Amino acid sequence: MAEIPVDVGMIYEGERIRKNQMHAELAGPKSKGAELFRVAGDDVVEDGKVTVVGPDVQELPEGQPTPFGVFIRAAGEKLEEDLEGVFERRMHYYFNYIQGFMHLNSRDTIWCRISKDAVKAGVTFEHIGAAVMDLFKKEYDVIEKMDVTFYTEDKAVDEFIEQARAVYEKRDARLRGMKDEDVDVFYGCVLCQSFAPEHMCTISPERISSCGSISWFDGRAAVKVDPKGSLIEIKKGEVLDPVKGEYAGVNELTEKKSGGAVNRVFLHSIFGHPHTSCGCFEAIAFYIPEVDGIGVVHRNFKGTTPFGIPFSTMAGQTGGGQQLEGFAGIAVEYIRSPKFFIADGGHERLVWLPKELKERFYNDLPESVRDKIATEEDATDLDALKAHLEKVGHPVVSRWQEQAPAAEEKAPAAAEAPAATVPEITMPLSGNPVAGGGITITFKNAKIYAEKVIIKRK
Amino acid sequence: MIIAVSGKGGVGKTMLAALLVRTFSEDTSNLLAIDADPDSNLPEAVGVKVEKTIGDVREEILESRSRSPGSTLHDVLEGHVMDTIEETDRFDLLEMGRPEGAGCYCAVNHVLRAIIDRWAKDYDIVIIDTEAGLEHLSRRTTQDVDVMIVVTDSSKRGIETAKRIKVLASELDISFKELYVVVNRAADDMAEGIKKTLEEAGLKVLGTIPEDRNVLEFDYEGRPLTELPEDSPALQEVRRIKERLSAATGT
Repeated sequence: MAEIPVDVGMIYEGERIRKNQMHAELAGPKSKGAELFRVAGDDVVEDGKVTVVGPDVQELPEGQPTPFGVFIRAAGEKLEEDLEGVFERRMHYYFNYIQGFMHLNSRDTIWCRISKDAVKAGVTFEHIGAAVMDLFKKEYDVIEKMDVTFYTEDKAVDEFIEQARAVYEKRDARLRGMKDEDVDVFYGCVLCQSFAPEHMCTISPERISSCGSISWFDGRAAVKVDPKGSLIEIKKGEVLDPVKGEYAGVNELTEKKSGGAVNRVFLHSIFGHPHTSCGCFEAIAFYIPEVDGIGVVHRNFKGTTPFGIPFSTMAGQTGGGQQLEGFAGIAVEYIRSPKFFIADGGHERLVWLPKELKERFYNDLPESVRDKIATEEDATDLDALKAHLEKVGHPVVSRWQEQAPAAEEKAPAAAEAPAATVPEITMPLSGNPVAGGGITITFKNAKIYAEKVIIKRK
Repeated sequence: MIIAVSGKGGVGKTMLAALLVRTFSEDTSNLLAIDADPDSNLPEAVGVKVEKTIGDVREEILESRSRSPGSTLHDVLEGHVMDTIEETDRFDLLEMGRPEGAGCYCAVNHVLRAIIDRWAKDYDIVIIDTEAGLEHLSRRTTQDVDVMIVVTDSSKRGIETAKRIKVLASELDISFKELYVVVNRAADDMAEGIKKTLEEAGLKVLGTIPEDRNVLEFDYEGRPLTELPEDSPALQEVRRIKERLSAATGT
């Protein structure tokens, strides 16, 4: 096989081929295409073979978008199907390493260009395929055999896209099913510290960042690219509470990154030590003591919550990186998580959602509760919410009966339900070195009836 | 070389940026123009119609929930940014577009900056029409600017602003290799005096662009400034500015 007539190396990664340098555009927004990496049997893979279905590089119509597919198969005793996604992502880099070849995006959104210079130099798919296989084998010993097929013929590309999409779907289903228990590391994100200096987001497979932008997979990719960046690997360490989601490693890093302000975090509980809230969370989960349930309101919802206040007011109280029992900034995606405040009863504790969110996540919510969650159409205040939940027989109603006798005897238990009525509040205002002389007294949605308030100087 | 054109609103920032695009793109088509001022209209001034802005991409990303669990924000955004770049035969153009809404843009902006920074390196020349004022520079689109050009008119206020910029720039921790001032709409007999005042304040004056009737007419008719006739005084002075810049930076 002839040596590829262009350079191959990391320096070409991220090389952008501009329109007037481009010979041909493969796949991309003006055409179609896909890429796929599969682990196959040792008997199927023909090591080193490059197949081209359709016109080769030199015959590609100049300046026109061409449908494009790349299918790589690899065999090796230790290769696992689980790694296909990781290898497929490497294709992006390796194709980019080839001088004069641009590769963007992934899967069925790939967008490639081949430069005029590369075509002039005589590059063919045989060259490109061989170079990519070579890069794979150099980096991964586990790959023993490989072959590559390029598709540029319209119908063949269509068939290939179909085939690829079926694989993506299967793969996504597996990834979505990933649990916090399945991994040893989580990721911490401090991108928002310019706004909330004490805030660190903990990102686990079952808890996407509060802004909804950074998944566990983003974290994994980011620390590889930039180990000193704003995303930090967290070794889970000792599991302190598997239900609440408390981990020694998370606590340690949170304490460090929050400058000592926060030293315990429960990933999946709104009580005790809930996750801190940056300021730019997509939604807020809030505990409603009157019905002993949890509501969620998102940023785009313009109406008011059953508390009588809109998202914006609540966000102003919740944000800034503080830890506030009964409130947590979350990504709307977290509603879908099987661990959604699981320590507090999970989705069965969810009593109120804006209609838009309820519709979006309807199929992801458990059947036992999804028709019983109130929206702004059912309740805009606490009395209506209570009446609605009672009428539809929401699972939280059974909690009311359990708690009722206890509540008569004494104030509700502190850990599970923050006190709604307290006979007397004494706030020790001294001995707070962090405040540095300033005093912060915050009442959140509190209803306090006092006959007298006495503030004394000691 | 990355050139940022700044200055307060209405001083002719976009005109200078557009004419720099015209003159530099005569030497190389490997030029990227970035419109970072949501209130200006660099695309019109250089005669390009923009389909999509980075602002649109930002909103799309925050709205869309279709991202597959394995794909990263960077992967997804790279293609979107590419899609935003208008590619003409003479140069490329990227419009930053509308300012941010209420959502969280920390993560998205972080990644966008990384992508744009990386791609800016592949161009021979990048010309940025920045937002009016200077505060934006701490969250600018490009990390390292080689040349910062401050445009000012000949008013006392404009000149005072230019003088203050040097101080402001150091306070805002903006890194650039050179800072120059360009005076716009200077009357012929006043140009020397203004230049002297600025130089006495320790500022390097790269040129003084005279009032140009062609510019007024083109603006009035909405015609691209890049099509100004060769004998336009403004264009002629920008040619000299370009030569001085090239000589000073060795490009």
